[in-house]
Amino acid sequence: MSEPSNSGVGYRVPGAGSDRRLAYLLVAPTVAVLVALSIYPLIHVVTLSLQVTSGGASRWSLGNFARLFSDHFFLAALGHTLVYAACALTLEFFLGLGLAVLMNNQLRGRSLFRAALLVPMMLPTVVAGVVWRLMLNPNFGAVNGTLRSWGLNTAALTWTSSPRLAMLSIVAVDVWQWTPFMFLILLAGLQAIPQEPYEAACMDGSSAWQTFRHVTLPLLKPAILVALLLRTMDLLRVFDQVFILTEGGPGFATETISLYIYRTAFRFSDFGYAAAMSFVLLIVTNIVSAFYIRVLQAREA
Amino acid sequence: MTAIPLWIHEPAHKVFYLRLGRKTDDERSLAMELSLEPSGVFRIRYGAMNSALKEILSSDHRMRSVSLSILSGMLLVALIPGLLSCQRDPNAKSLTLAVNSGVEGDALKQAALDYEAQTGVHINIAEFPYANLFEKELIDLGARSRAYDLIMLDDPWFPKFASQHLLTELTPLLQQRGLKGPDEDFVATSIALGREPYRTGSLYAMPYVGNSQLLFYRKDLFAKHNLPEPATWNDALAAAKIISELETNGAPGGGKIYGYVMRAAQGNAAVADFMPIFWAFGGEMLDANYQPAVNSAEGIAALKFMLELGKYSPPGYASFNADEVGAHLLQGTAAMSINWPAWISSFNDPAKSRVIGNMEFATLPGAKNPGQAEIGNWLLAIPRDAKNKDAAFDFLLWATSAEQMKRSAIRGNPPTRKSLFNDPELVAKFPAYPTQLRSLESSRPRPRTPHWNEIENVFGIYLSKANSGELSAEDAMNQANTEIGKILERAK
Repeated sequence: MSEPSNSGVGYRVPGAGSDRRLAYLLVAPTVAVLVALSIYPLIHVVTLSLQVTSGGASRWSLGNFARLFSDHFFLAALGHTLVYAACALTLEFFLGLGLAVLMNNQLRGRSLFRAALLVPMMLPTVVAGVVWRLMLNPNFGAVNGTLRSWGLNTAALTWTSSPRLAMLSIVAVDVWQWTPFMFLILLAGLQAIPQEPYEAACMDGSSAWQTFRHVTLPLLKPAILVALLLRTMDLLRVFDQVFILTEGGPGFATETISLYIYRTAFRFSDFGYAAAMSFVLLIVTNIVSAFYIRVLQAREA
Repeated sequence: MTAIPLWIHEPAHKVFYLRLGRKTDDERSLAMELSLEPSGVFRIRYGAMNSALKEILSSDHRMRSVSLSILSGMLLVALIPGLLSCQRDPNAKSLTLAVNSGVEGDALKQAALDYEAQTGVHINIAEFPYANLFEKELIDLGARSRAYDLIMLDDPWFPKFASQHLLTELTPLLQQRGLKGPDEDFVATSIALGREPYRTGSLYAMPYVGNSQLLFYRKDLFAKHNLPEPATWNDALAAAKIISELETNGAPGGGKIYGYVMRAAQGNAAVADFMPIFWAFGGEMLDANYQPAVNSAEGIAALKFMLELGKYSPPGYASFNADEVGAHLLQGTAAMSINWPAWISSFNDPAKSRVIGNMEFATLPGAKNPGQAEIGNWLLAIPRDAKNKDAAFDFLLWATSAEQMKRSAIRGNPPTRKSLFNDPELVAKFPAYPTQLRSLESSRPRPRTPHWNEIENVFGIYLSKANSGELSAEDAMNQANTEIGKILERAK
């Protein structure tokens, strides 16, 4: 037991000192993990990105960042990532919102539908990627097989082998897998909306669309922003399904920034340049996230 | 599972035990033993809780148990690398090998067990998937953490390791053992891979598995249409055309047989399938001054030929990798391809193959130049900073001896010794061995540059762009040439 405190505080909780120590002790592992796994690596990435290695010797330089602007592979990969994220996010949002509104109503077999909708999200991404790669095989895949059985000519539908269809293929797989996530968050948001505003709208003779536009959407905004924020961060750093479905091909058509960073670091052993690219990706992700968070806070204020 | 680690300290032997989870008397608990021997050797062993450990852990008089919070547990985890790096006894008979997880690494693992039984040298195996092995080895050797005494290298990686001086020169070690140089029995093109500079320089690695590409073709279809074994790429193209046009319903399950199947996915796949055509047409990736030359007239002609051959390949081949090519050949829906010897055995496996007894193997066709396969050997090397160079080299010599390599061959790895390719017992088991030897002896390595991974990547991207119809052959080769030039320029 500690001595009575002679500070200005007029009362003392017995054992407050050891409580505080316990609090620090309980927080310490989390802080240690955070420092070890997030803060230290971040600092390390920044130092790496500012070093250029040539002939076995490293020196400080902004060369890695300068190289980013003249590297058309980097710019193309960044472009692919943004196109991929924008397309997948838009589709997932509208599909997820539609499904959530639909499932929020009293439908027959609703619980069965809900359970079925969540299956894709529960599969490991790698498994989903391998299955889709087989299904999209132009010759013995299930997709073209089904189309052929309907009498369609699938000769031009080479999916992941076609520069035009490859991006569409990877977006489709992402939409298939992650729309349920959007759906789940939006459905939770819908169910948290109280009944009263709807009753008031009904009394005022508002149409179904007007109710959706002026009651549901504003009240759903926090859930929408959280869902968009989480999906955007995931989409910007997408790696595994693209790596399995196309490996960035054909001819770089689906190479995303994470794939290019992976190659640069682990295949070409150019850690400095990879660190510079990672840093740019981090900044892009932060800008987008900051935008969402600002919109979210503006509503709450 | 709540984990309250329990530590026991035995001062005499410096052995620590760590219990992970559950209770001491529970068989499902894991136990970890950390021991620091007087010689300085640090070992970690772990396994399920067994009766012996239970006794140690529950005998009160020997036990000093401390209940530790997760924080202390973390602290200990943080200490382990420090303890591991403590100086080992240089005379300790223990080796650590970095191997590829796959049939090649399995053979070496098995050999290590045999060696351990024969000599008592303890061998630890660190096994990594092919995609990770290169980065693990390069990072470890570069950081001089001295984790490995012997490493397996795919031959295209060798120039990177050699140029950074990360490997031990082997000739002095041979001389210490009264040998002038490596055994004359090694295939010349294989032993040349372990020298830096190529073929003429000092020896830094020895070849363990001797792969080189072969032309796979369906001898039943070739006989049916009176086609000769392709000696030139024009023969191959003509045969592909005839088979594609006539066998519109000849596949085992009905459906078309394609005359050829190409592996043209971006990256290694497209490059490996293109190089033999490129060389046969007279192309060279780097000229005598180490400048890129893929957009030469010969190079462009070779790519045009590849696109021509692609017309008789199944649709979507621009994203095919080894699995798709293998599937087409095994299902009988394609008649020809360039492939690696590892696939040979599957064609006579009834569980996989619908073309049993019909696949034949030949050396690669020529064009302007005689046909040359790409070589793909697994090498064994000793890191420059290895702890036990002598013990590692003894094992290396033993594993690459004719007797041991024969055992590796029986396990499915092509050897790198001429005598074994002609060994009657092995030839009876692997009838393609004489052809494989001819292919290996006339093979060539991928361009020997420390920047091969980067060059292969961009070359693969442009080959893929040409095969998927995005770029013409001329544009693809011109742009590839520019990009390869940038890589070499940056490396200066």
